[in-house]
Amino acid sequence: MSGDDDKVRFGRVVLPHLGDAYALARWITGHRADAEDVVQEACLRAFRAIGGFSGGNARAWTLTIVRNTAYSWLSKNRSAVVVSVDDLEATERAFAKPTDIGTGESYAANPETDLIAKADAAQLEAAIAALPAQFRETLVLRDIQGLDYREIAAVTEVPVGTVMSRLARARQRLIDTLGTRER
Amino acid sequence: MTDTPNERDRLLMHAYIDGELDPANAIAVEQRIAADPALAGERTRVEALRRALQERLPPEMPPPGLEARVRRTVGVAAERARPTWRALAASILVAVMASSATTWLVLQPAPGDSVADAVMDGHLRALMAPQPIDVASSDRHTVKPWFQGKIPQAPRVVDLAPEGFPLVGGRIDVIGRQGVPSLVYRRRQHVISVTAVPDSAHQEPPRSVKGYNVMRWAADGIGYWAVSDLNADELATFARLFRETPADR
Repeated sequence: MSGDDDKVRFGRVVLPHLGDAYALARWITGHRADAEDVVQEACLRAFRAIGGFSGGNARAWTLTIVRNTAYSWLSKNRSAVVVSVDDLEATERAFAKPTDIGTGESYAANPETDLIAKADAAQLEAAIAALPAQFRETLVLRDIQGLDYREIAAVTEVPVGTVMSRLARARQRLIDTLGTRER
Repeated sequence: MTDTPNERDRLLMHAYIDGELDPANAIAVEQRIAADPALAGERTRVEALRRALQERLPPEMPPPGLEARVRRTVGVAAERARPTWRALAASILVAVMASSATTWLVLQPAPGDSVADAVMDGHLRALMAPQPIDVASSDRHTVKPWFQGKIPQAPRVVDLAPEGFPLVGGRIDVIGRQGVPSLVYRRRQHVISVTAVPDSAHQEPPRSVKGYNVMRWAADGIGYWAVSDLNADELATFARLFRETPADR
């Protein structure tokens, strides 16, 4: 009977979040077909682990498995893609541009904002794809999939403070890329 | 920590935009933004970015086959699929056999118009199902063999598409304890069920049941019951065509 119970739980816990699972997998792998393979493998893992789900946030639980599956899938099948970014945040701080923290009157309404507002889907997508993996997943989970900080912290297995700094940096990079592009 | 006060303000500004701050912190950030044009400019850009992302990059829908693929992999049956008519017929048969004599009598066709009611019920249930048919095909050479092996006698299937009554498929209904074939035709948006009920040829049908028109005719010892919300004249035309058209034309 526990096999049937697992199936029922899987149907309630994992399947409602298949859309989110696929969206995250697609952003991490960058390919639709890869995302399907990742989701399938992640669902199998989730099913085997469903007994361990303690009844918390089902979406965060499911996406955590999808994320881990996506990275292990990438390192197995697309080893060139995965870049270690352990020191990313420190590097980012060291190279923070003076203008980022400068003061001035010209910041409020400027052509940069206009360019960002007018970026089309392809430009947005390309800019997100160019982000380092940890920045990208944080931004996608927040600004496309709508998770809150605690959920993102759970899925990406880092403290909330790290989520905050990754999100701010990811957004700043997109603003830099989109706000300075050629018209 | 290595964070400068400015760094901290920026992070809090993002958290403010994301609605993650409690009221006290939110007010403090609003005051900081109001006092710092650089921070205000950054806020404007971040909000422009968020709007652009939300408007132009909605989460991509998974491909239609993905859920089915996952269900197959994991071995979880689709919940949304309602029982097929065959499964339902089987379960009714089981229920009848396992149930008391009282239930038995209820489900037994009584003399009179109970066949009409049963035929009508089959038609109505089918209309409520996602698909009013078990086998969806406009080809009678597909529909007729589908019945063989499932019920004692496959029905006579005729092609009435040239006359404007295309065949759309077939299903098995249960009348009394018996699985009987129903053919499904269409006239514009109206569904017509033709149910072949052995030994019901002697019964006089009502002209209509619950607002649906009913036609009955007999051929070769089989009673044919046509039910539809189609108007009575066109249903009569359909019945005549069904009777007169040879199955192998």
